[in-house]
Amino acid sequence: MDITLEVNGETRHLSIDPRVTLLDALRERLGITGPKKGCDRGQCGACTVHVDGRPVLACLTLAATVREPVRTVEGLAADGRPHPVQQAFAEQDALQCGFCTSGQVMSAVAAVEQEVADVREFMSGNLCRCAAYPNIVAAVEQARSTKESADARV
Amino acid sequence: MRAFELTAPTTLDEALTSGATALAGGTTLVDLMKLDVLTPPRVVDINALPLRGIEVDPAGDLRIGALERMSAVAAHPQVYPVISRALLLSASQQLRNMASIGGNLMQRTRCGYFRDVAMPCNRRDPGSGCPAIEGANRMHAVLGTSDACVATHASDLAVALVALDARIELVSTQGGRSVALADFYRLPGDTPEREHDLRPGELIGEIVVPRLDWAARSTYVKVRDRQSYEFALCSVAVALDVRDGRVADVRIAAGGVGTVPWRLTAVEAALRGGPADEAAFEAAAQVAADGARPLSHNGYKTALLPRTVVRALLEVSRG
Amino acid sequence: MTMRTDAPLKTSGAARYGLDVTPPGTVYGYVVTSTIAHGEITAMDVAAVRAAPGVLAVYTPFDPLPLRTPMSPLLGETWVPLQDTEVTYYGQPVGFVVAETFEQARDAALLVEVTYDRRPARTSLHAGLADALDAPPSLHGEPPTLQVLADGVESIEDALAASAVRVDATYETATQNHAAMEPHSAVAVWEDGRLTLYSGTQGSDLQAAQLAQALDVEPARVRALNPFVGGAFGGKGHAGVSAFLGAAAARDLGRPVKAALTREQVFTATATRPATVQRLRIGADADGRLTALAHDSWSSTTATPSFVEPTSHGTSREWYTTPNLAITQKMVPLHVPPTTFMRAPGEAPGSFALESAMDELAVALGMDPVELRLRNSSIAPPGRDLQWSSKHLDECFTLGAQRFGWAQRHRRRVDRDWLVGYGTATAMFPALRFPCAVRITLRPDDTAEVATSGADPGTGLRTVLSLFGAEALAIPPERVEAALGDSTLPPGGMSGGSTATASVGSAIAVGAPAVIDALVAVATGPGGLFEGREVAYADGRVFAEGDSATFGEVLRAAGRDEVTAIGTSAPGEEMTKHSFSSFGAQFCEVRVHRWTREVRMSRMLGVFDAGRIVHEQAARSQIMGGMIWGVSAALHEGLEIEESGRPANGDFASYLIPVNADIPTVDVEFVRYPDTLHNPVGARGLGEISVVGVAAAIANAVYDATGIRVRRIPIVLEDLLE
Ligand SMILES: Cc1cc2nc3c(=O)[nH]c(=O)nc-3n(C[C@H](O)[C@H](O)[C@H](O)COP(=O)(O)OP(=O)(O)OC[C@H]3O[C@@H](n4cnc5c(N)ncnc54)[C@H](O)[C@@H]3O)c2cc1C
Ligand code: SF4
Ligand code: FES
Ligand code: FES
Repeated sequence: MDITLEVNGETRHLSIDPRVTLLDALRERLGITGPKKGCDRGQCGACTVHVDGRPVLACLTLAATVREPVRTVEGLAADGRPHPVQQAFAEQDALQCGFCTSGQVMSAVAAVEQEVADVREFMSGNLCRCAAYPNIVAAVEQARSTKESADARV
Repeated sequence: MRAFELTAPTTLDEALTSGATALAGGTTLVDLMKLDVLTPPRVVDINALPLRGIEVDPAGDLRIGALERMSAVAAHPQVYPVISRALLLSASQQLRNMASIGGNLMQRTRCGYFRDVAMPCNRRDPGSGCPAIEGANRMHAVLGTSDACVATHASDLAVALVALDARIELVSTQGGRSVALADFYRLPGDTPEREHDLRPGELIGEIVVPRLDWAARSTYVKVRDRQSYEFALCSVAVALDVRDGRVADVRIAAGGVGTVPWRLTAVEAALRGGPADEAAFEAAAQVAADGARPLSHNGYKTALLPRTVVRALLEVSRG
Repeated sequence: MTMRTDAPLKTSGAARYGLDVTPPGTVYGYVVTSTIAHGEITAMDVAAVRAAPGVLAVYTPFDPLPLRTPMSPLLGETWVPLQDTEVTYYGQPVGFVVAETFEQARDAALLVEVTYDRRPARTSLHAGLADALDAPPSLHGEPPTLQVLADGVESIEDALAASAVRVDATYETATQNHAAMEPHSAVAVWEDGRLTLYSGTQGSDLQAAQLAQALDVEPARVRALNPFVGGAFGGKGHAGVSAFLGAAAARDLGRPVKAALTREQVFTATATRPATVQRLRIGADADGRLTALAHDSWSSTTATPSFVEPTSHGTSREWYTTPNLAITQKMVPLHVPPTTFMRAPGEAPGSFALESAMDELAVALGMDPVELRLRNSSIAPPGRDLQWSSKHLDECFTLGAQRFGWAQRHRRRVDRDWLVGYGTATAMFPALRFPCAVRITLRPDDTAEVATSGADPGTGLRTVLSLFGAEALAIPPERVEAALGDSTLPPGGMSGGSTATASVGSAIAVGAPAVIDALVAVATGPGGLFEGREVAYADGRVFAEGDSATFGEVLRAAGRDEVTAIGTSAPGEEMTKHSFSSFGAQFCEVRVHRWTREVRMSRMLGVFDAGRIVHEQAARSQIMGGMIWGVSAALHEGLEIEESGRPANGDFASYLIPVNADIPTVDVEFVRYPDTLHNPVGARGLGEISVVGVAAAIANAVYDATGIRVRRIPIVLEDLLE
């Protein structure tokens, strides 16, 4: 079937089988490989992307059912500058192998935007076998204070 | 995943007459289709249907549209704490953004044999056998089991709703009907494949939680091997009405231990009118696992259940 | 402090892992696995598969892809799939379906019908203990059974019997899977008889060599690339089934093939850490000095024995001073998935047993467990004359105890409904080096490149290469580019054994002077900027009397594109002079719920003596990750193998690894004593030591909190329901 996806601000047309997940559409058809396939079962979070501004698992989403805009880790940077969460992940060393990182970053962006109270709980849908967890929490906290000081300036 | 036809109607009528399997958040359906456990030839994306809204009606009952997302329901200020907690302790934030509460109530068991088509399973393939009874059954049920199936019902939300006597409104082309959620789920008996009372051509339209003012004092305790992103070994939903140090009324249901969400009416009865203190909670909880039929690896649940009841009562009574 | 050099790529999604490559015309492969643990495949019906839409090929043992068994000095033999009809474990690859799309391949694979002639499967380690076999010799070449007895002592039993205080207990650890977040996968492309393979592994040159042998092509015709690896932990040493089948099918079909194992398949079709049973008998005098130590170990292994978890050789053999030592290592061949090394092989499960037993001894003696360990610290492995090159374990313990507030542990600690307990344990891990070659190149734009084929599966090797290069050339790290993960680069060996930092550091220490010599030759040679003059190199410049130029200027003046040199290093003489190990002290605080008995971590501290710390941030991350692996082993992970051989929990919803909410603040401290007896850069490697001891420290803390001694990991709440 023919579908249209809006990914990172661009409209993309695809002709796909209804079986294709959003994750496989992004990775195998659109060359957007930031989102990773760690399990393909909703059990790891490596495929986390935003649909309509909210983190979802691309591996359990059928591409043909997506109507709202999709944002992946590739779409976070603005004007060539990394998103404050990306910057914080790099500075806090919130990664090792980096395979879970795209998904972690997408969840972390939501954690900062939603001003969540319990960061560790909120970030628990993103497994990290390298176990960068403490640094991931530190990165969220850093990004949050960056945001707060930016908000305060406005 | 077998090839299937996908439609996305915008009216209820189209969806109800389609005869296709409903797709809401897809977090159960897509998963089980990939595993070849579910093989619907036709799938109907129901997300454009008008089954939304979270509101308190004039009678004070809370009405939640079946397509509302778990995250939206959990965050809603008029939702009782036990429901919010049960939702927030479910799955992960990403999954809660995707999953609908109608789908949540319809989710399938997490029994590993059910999910593995290389294995027999009476629930998936009636008459093929139940390897869990002799096999890896640490996660399985001790209450409401049969010789045919011992799988737990995995929804946390359902446990909270059963505690609060919630009803579901079913819609079909024949009109609607209203069913108590507790009656909706069926014990496995000899027919574990028949999990619930939903008839072909019906959808869950709405969930109705009857007004219960004192359920403002309620909570959900979920015990598991890791702190988050996991199903319950044992969970307890409790709402407690304490007046002058005594239990005026109480609602308790348990998850992770039963083949269906398990209301603990005997514990409720033992508590009513008694003191709201640890000793009384502990005494009343002793009957929680009455009738339990432990298997080789899940006997601990008969001990864990009363303890989880006590913990939940203590937590809610401390406020 | 510079950040990890690849952090910007990894946080932006730009880092390309193996599967992120999709060459034009790519088709998709899907592996089919066995549903019995032992027997023979008598038939495979694939007619429906072939007829399914998009299917290009179906490979089975009856219609196989020709593959030869590769053999490498480091890894031994690597199993290649589909070459015979024998099934020796559940989940063994038995077929490979290739189709135009992933969906078509996956769904067609469901249609494969396999007929088996089943044979009884041996799957229980317990049932096999009685007729266990002796394991092969240890890494050090020592026999599986060995004794060191004091003069006049007849047997270890006599020594134990003569001890004032004794502990005798048996411990068990679970089968584990590396469970790297990146499933084993490969993209294979053939062009003009040459294979390019994109696949996350622990060593591109090893991967290329294994593939060349398996496919029977010249090594020079295989290029393996793995610039980014999504975690490995020992599980990506051997080339995997996706690589073998993908490469062979791509050759057969003349199309690029992409193949990945599903998460479920990773649990069986790769490899696991064996399960172990360990009996510890310790005798001590009333002052807590060990008088006898006996460590009997049993490890599961594959039906045709392969890797055995060396728990007693990895720990009791070396850790404590004792006049009488007896260790055994047995193995129980089973119809279970392949076994291989996994982060701290031997030491991780071995330390659970030894360090739990030491805690039991401390309890029996009524002695502070820290004091007990200080009192028995070894200056050399028992019975060996080679002393530890540089050991500051005592300092780790005293510093750690102070920092952790260990002295507070006697207070009765209950925090609302949570019982609080403290635990500690020793950590040790041998310091090793592997042979390694690094190429250093100076370029006319005043940058340098440091290149080796080795892998950075998250360890920070890429960053370390830049830092070492910068240090050796005395230029800023921003001007040093690291290249790795490409089998055409000089052989960097395998990322494993916590060796990479020491190995590349040693090679760079050799290569840098060589490239500087080459530069000087260019500067002073015919047509050189300083032709015929005396020069010296410093800070990226060449100095002649009264004159200087950057190396880039020197190269430009001579019209040279580069000068280059390769430095190589290998473990050498040092091994005949000292024993080498890293050391650490683990501390933790746990909470056990008074009613529901689940265990949660509330605080952790590890203090390590790992020689010089090269990149502070990456080192801390490695250590933290390893300590959390210890939490995982203690409280979460274990592959449960059913009687049939089927893994009961082979997915990420039921094979539990900790989530963020399970992990408290993890405090890491180093005592910094560069160990230049081991290698010129003084770094000893720290990827694995951090796991060691943690599970015991946690079990010891659980005992402290509840009075219940759990001798099997992972600890589950039913262990603590009285
Ligand atoms: C890794 C993981 C962890 C999880 N952890 C938890 C947990 O801790 N606790 C918990 O409670 N749940 C958990 N879940 C389950 C999750 O909550 C359910 O999958 C989800 O709620 C299902 O909702 P959905 O909208 O995605 O349903 P779908 O997958 O779209 O549908 C599920 C089923 O319900 C039917 N259906 C959907 N809507 C309706 C309707 N309105 N009327 C009639 N039938 C309908 C569908 O036909 C289908 O059969 C977890 C799931 C995953 C993947
Ligand atoms: S417990 Fe129920 S769902 Fe599980 S295998 Fe048995 S019949 Fe199937
Ligand atoms: S790949 Fe989607 S959750 Fe794991
Ligand atoms: S950084 Fe490797 S899995 Fe998270």
